[in-house]
Amino acid sequence: MHLLPLLLYAAAAAAYIAHFAWRDPRVGRLATGLLAGGVLAHTFLIGMQTVQAGHAPLVGTSAAISAFVWLLGLSYLYIELTSDERSMGVFISVLLVGLDIIPALDPAVTPRPPVLQSPLFTVHVMSLLFAYASFALACVLGVIYVLLFKEIKAKQLGFFYARLPPLASLDLMNSRAITVGWAFLTIGVLVGLIWAWQVKGSPAPDPRVQAMSLADPKILVALVSWGIYSFALFARKAAGWSGRRAAYLSGIAFAVVLLNFVLVGYFLTASHNF
Amino acid sequence: MRLFAVGLSHRTAPVELRETVDFARKGLENALAELSGRGAGRELVVLSTCNRAEIYAVGDTDETAEQVGRFFSDYHEIPHDHVRDHLYVHRGPDAARHLFRVAAGLDSLVVGEPQILGQVKAAYAIASDGQFTAALTNRLFHSAFTVGKRVRSETGLGEGAVSVSYAAIALAKKIFGDLNGRAVLILGAGEMAKLTGIHLRAQHVRKITIASRTLSTAQNLAARLEGVAVAWDSIDRALSSADIVVTATGASEPVLTRARVDEAMRHRRNRPLFVIDIAVPRDVDPAVGQLDQVFLYNIDDLRTIVQENLARRGAELARAEAIVDEEVARYAAWMQSREIVPTVVALRQRFEAIRRAELQRLEPKLSGLPPEAKARVDEVTRLIVEKLLLTPTEQLKAVSDEAMIVAYADALNRLFSLAQDKDRDQVAPEEESEVSS
Repeated sequence: MHLLPLLLYAAAAAAYIAHFAWRDPRVGRLATGLLAGGVLAHTFLIGMQTVQAGHAPLVGTSAAISAFVWLLGLSYLYIELTSDERSMGVFISVLLVGLDIIPALDPAVTPRPPVLQSPLFTVHVMSLLFAYASFALACVLGVIYVLLFKEIKAKQLGFFYARLPPLASLDLMNSRAITVGWAFLTIGVLVGLIWAWQVKGSPAPDPRVQAMSLADPKILVALVSWGIYSFALFARKAAGWSGRRAAYLSGIAFAVVLLNFVLVGYFLTASHNF
Repeated sequence: MRLFAVGLSHRTAPVELRETVDFARKGLENALAELSGRGAGRELVVLSTCNRAEIYAVGDTDETAEQVGRFFSDYHEIPHDHVRDHLYVHRGPDAARHLFRVAAGLDSLVVGEPQILGQVKAAYAIASDGQFTAALTNRLFHSAFTVGKRVRSETGLGEGAVSVSYAAIALAKKIFGDLNGRAVLILGAGEMAKLTGIHLRAQHVRKITIASRTLSTAQNLAARLEGVAVAWDSIDRALSSADIVVTATGASEPVLTRARVDEAMRHRRNRPLFVIDIAVPRDVDPAVGQLDQVFLYNIDDLRTIVQENLARRGAELARAEAIVDEEVARYAAWMQSREIVPTVVALRQRFEAIRRAELQRLEPKLSGLPPEAKARVDEVTRLIVEKLLLTPTEQLKAVSDEAMIVAYADALNRLFSLAQDKDRDQVAPEEESEVSS
């Protein structure tokens, strides 16, 4: 059961690649169907894990990645169905497959330590995961913006020119994704702050709670990424950093997010290693 | 019943003749009514564009094609000799294939051009509104729309602009999306500037500004394009508010230098700028293309794109033809089944009716028999009828030649005086829904 979402995501990725290459609308619909099936199976999986554990499976990096993949798949499906634009699917679905390998190999649900039994914790994690999903979309939009930009600039109208939506649309969607992501990132960080402040005052604080400070890499890098996205929003408004600059920025910023999420989350943090 | 396509096109007729043979001039309704009044064809659709004039007709014999062919000259009051050698006649599935190729743009002067599908749709709508169409043509034209749509979505045939102006507009759309709301600056007021301006105007751009060295020519063009003329020395301001710049002046030195555009970009806060230089010699310094967010295309770049698009369309032809083949086979199978099935059904109904009538007539004599014996009589008579009809039914269903089907149906109708099914020309309710889906 825990492999089913991954298999469906992989099948969807294959179909998205075939659709991108040959542009057969039937293959495109198949790809969407497979992805929707994957997200549905993933919903069931997370639902079952919630019922079994008695709480949402958000503890531990592997579970967090699983929830992230689920949110990203869901967000992308929403965008595809509302914009009727499938060309991003090939990038998103490959990203889903790459990330979902981790929870598929490590499906066990980590029991929730007592310190995390607060609704604030769930809000904190879900907000941040949703922010990261938006940033992932922004990053993919940025990547395809640059691919298309380079083709038009170099007057080599070819593969991507025929397949991707206009630069202005990509830029607009990128701006929206970053705005939404930034809002949720801000909420997530603030709720985390409130929660940490609450539990620090409790009689026997968890050692990990003790480590919650700016010196912890996870927290530090999270704030760095908040800084980068804030700058991206500000620069777009105030200095006209749209288009290619915004695209590069969303790529760099998401690299930082991913680094924090996977590498720092697994190996470096002392405060967030649940 | 047979389907005919009679017509002439850019492939068979010179432009002078195509201009004369124009059914649209007096209205297609008029042509349809007149043709129908002559009794030529039971179902009719007239298609008339600047590159072709075609009539699709359903009739019983080749006489229909003959009549329709004559109509081309009679209606336009020209000697038939002038037209005859330029006319083509397609019959049955070939007629369907012809229409499907036309609808897909495969028969167009510019292969893959998309306008023809709309023209075919309009021609059908007029014929259909005037009640000149029925089952055969309804199905035919809906299949043609399917072919047109499939070719557009499943092949790259219609893709890529094949004229310089359209290539420029396609590029602009790839950069800005909808051009609605974008501002255009045109430098120069000559013929090329005017042509490009007309194309851009058709895209509903928000504002067109025209600058020329002599203000009066700029004002003339501005009036034509519903734009604004500005003085030559104020183009810097216009440049910083424009999204698309078209340069087509006769200047021998570049008008837009890198420094000038760089300065303008600073004022426009880095919003993308698309510069189309269609002047020879060039109006824009090539170094302008190195600026971030500036896309510079000159006339040679656009011509290269057009050449590439034409080559690519050629490569997609085979895929489009395969779609046409598929739909022709589907339509031909439908026509065939339609032709013979009603005859088979009518024949069987006739035999069954005779059997029942005879049993009815013998009822007084049979009434003395025990129920099993009566049932036995019923069964035996049914079996005899079945046996008698077995071979004819199989044989009829195996007939594939269209002319033979008509001959068989005709013979059977006469031999067994089958009910003349007047409804056969009407679309049955379930067929209608299938057609419109």
